[in-house]
Amino acid sequence: MKQTGLRAIRAPLSATQRLVLGIGSFVLPLLLWCAVSYLPFVWHPLVLVSDPGGVDYFEPGMRVEAGVFADEVKAMRESGAALPQGVPANPVYLPAPHEVAQAFYTGFTTPPEQKDAPWLHQSLWHSMQIIFWGFLISSLIGVPLGILCGTYSALARLHEPFIEFFRYLPAPAFGALAVAILGIHDGPKIAIIVIGTLFQQVLIVANTTRQLDHSLLEAAMTMGNRGARLLLKVVVPGILPQLYRDQRVLLGWAWTYLIVAELIGTSSGITFFITQQARYQHFDKVYAAILMIGLIGLGIDLLLAWLGRRLFPWLPPRSQH
Amino acid sequence: MFFKALTQRLTRGFQALVVTSALLGSQASGAAEPLKIGYSDWPGWVAWQVAIEKDWFKQAGVAVKFEWFDYSASMEAFAAGKIDAVTVTNGDALVTGAGGAKSVMIMLTDYSNGNDMIVGRPGIKSLQDLKGKKVAVEAGLVEHLLLLNGLKKAGMKESDVTLVNAKTNEMPQVLASGEVAAVGAWQPIAGQAIKAVPGARPLLTSADEPGLIYDVLTVNPASLANRKADWQKVVAVWDKVVAYIEDPKTQPDAVKIMAARVGVPPATYTQFLKGTKLLSLAEGKKVMVKAEGFKSLYGSSQIADDFNVKNGVYKTPQKVDTYIDPSLTNAAAK
Repeated sequence: MKQTGLRAIRAPLSATQRLVLGIGSFVLPLLLWCAVSYLPFVWHPLVLVSDPGGVDYFEPGMRVEAGVFADEVKAMRESGAALPQGVPANPVYLPAPHEVAQAFYTGFTTPPEQKDAPWLHQSLWHSMQIIFWGFLISSLIGVPLGILCGTYSALARLHEPFIEFFRYLPAPAFGALAVAILGIHDGPKIAIIVIGTLFQQVLIVANTTRQLDHSLLEAAMTMGNRGARLLLKVVVPGILPQLYRDQRVLLGWAWTYLIVAELIGTSSGITFFITQQARYQHFDKVYAAILMIGLIGLGIDLLLAWLGRRLFPWLPPRSQH
Repeated sequence: MFFKALTQRLTRGFQALVVTSALLGSQASGAAEPLKIGYSDWPGWVAWQVAIEKDWFKQAGVAVKFEWFDYSASMEAFAAGKIDAVTVTNGDALVTGAGGAKSVMIMLTDYSNGNDMIVGRPGIKSLQDLKGKKVAVEAGLVEHLLLLNGLKKAGMKESDVTLVNAKTNEMPQVLASGEVAAVGAWQPIAGQAIKAVPGARPLLTSADEPGLIYDVLTVNPASLANRKADWQKVVAVWDKVVAYIEDPKTQPDAVKIMAARVGVPPATYTQFLKGTKLLSLAEGKKVMVKAEGFKSLYGSSQIADDFNVKNGVYKTPQKVDTYIDPSLTNAAAK
């Protein structure tokens, strides 16, 4: 009994279905957000005061709980003073989609207020450089070490217990230490990304290497391959597609450490923008900045996925989004 | 073959990276090395931005590099010896010093004049109303001191309220949650808390006790000893800054520069300035005279030291006199 249709388990999807569902995965949350923002009867627990009327502590632009507002209207009516005016509103931390879209656009088009301050795209570029160097340094150590650990059991035993222990230590906790050693600019930020990525990387790459078909190794050794030759000619090519996929996942991992990394030392990059705007409750700009990070991360990932299909055309197209 | 080339290229890139970072990080100890000063988001310190953008340090013949931080990150960088000076409250200079990074306060920037507050929920009208209720402050920081000092003046005991420890940045949400009757925070956070809970009002502000919280520029003792002449020039620039901010003719431009540094509209920033009393060097000179009580930086720091020891912020009382050097302010004051 073969199942078909969308409810079938692990059934292959047609190209059209994939596209529609893919778009839907973005459109559905957006619709929900629009509903909450634009339909006052859905949520809107507060009232945005436009005219304080006779209420002494109201100010234009203040958000008041609907119950409090109703009480004050009643009180003013009884005392015969001017009634406060207002419209239903959401809390300040949930701006409407069009406000975020506006903030997104103006973020790139407004020049920085301050002389010598970076433009938003310069801040983003700076953040991307931090990620790049952090991930590069981590990979230069992590990938070779992972491959060696996955190939030689003795090496694995020597490294992995300590790495297992170390990967549970929270990277952000090394912030002050990184500043003390590496200064206040980009050094400690890159170090946090390295600490956050490296230890996972060694373990994941080692695991991937262990998945390599043992008969390949035996065949190669029968022909007299040992050591570096065996690693470079058999092991590395054998795991390359899976290694590429691991690196994609790990790069996403590195991105998640960006915000903690940039809080260390001098304020810089996109994180400075986010924390500063959050402090003054400009949440539309905060969401816009978070969106930018998400879009850049997703963009790079899609690019790498496309590149992966070109690099390893012999792989089945499974698990490729 | 391919891998060999790749690894070679990567090693070369990596070597280049290491060399450049070594060059950048190297401490060339020449007199040309700019003085590194950490500053953060507080009106009395953002004021330096005016001097930075007007090139007044260059005119004074001193090379400085101001580094912008989050407040706590700036203290960390100073404690790690990565910057020569930092802008802090006089109490936090003692805390950093007790932790091993001794510093010397060479000038005052301002005292808090209303920007630090204890904000009560609607219906709480005075400190007396807090009796038997919960109050959130960040333990060991200035609002904690402000609250205890206010309770004492109101004839109440510390045990009359239950203190809840929370992060200053999160106070608006803490107050809105209704779990506590009042919170302690400084601007702009205090203002956000008042906005978040309509009807909330300040029960006590630093304007009720001027001098409880002084803000200073504090310097690494070694840097001060080696480059006293340069620090003297830095201090001398301050009067120009205060004059530019307080002169009605130039104030709009000054506020524009400061607001741009922290990313808010200028109108918002004018309000934060109101709660900060900038001190000219002549005013600072009067405060840097040994005396008891809040009128003197010595007295105020002594009170902060007693508070810190009593509340376990650190164990050993600090020698307050060794933390203050009025000579540069005295020499520059007109």
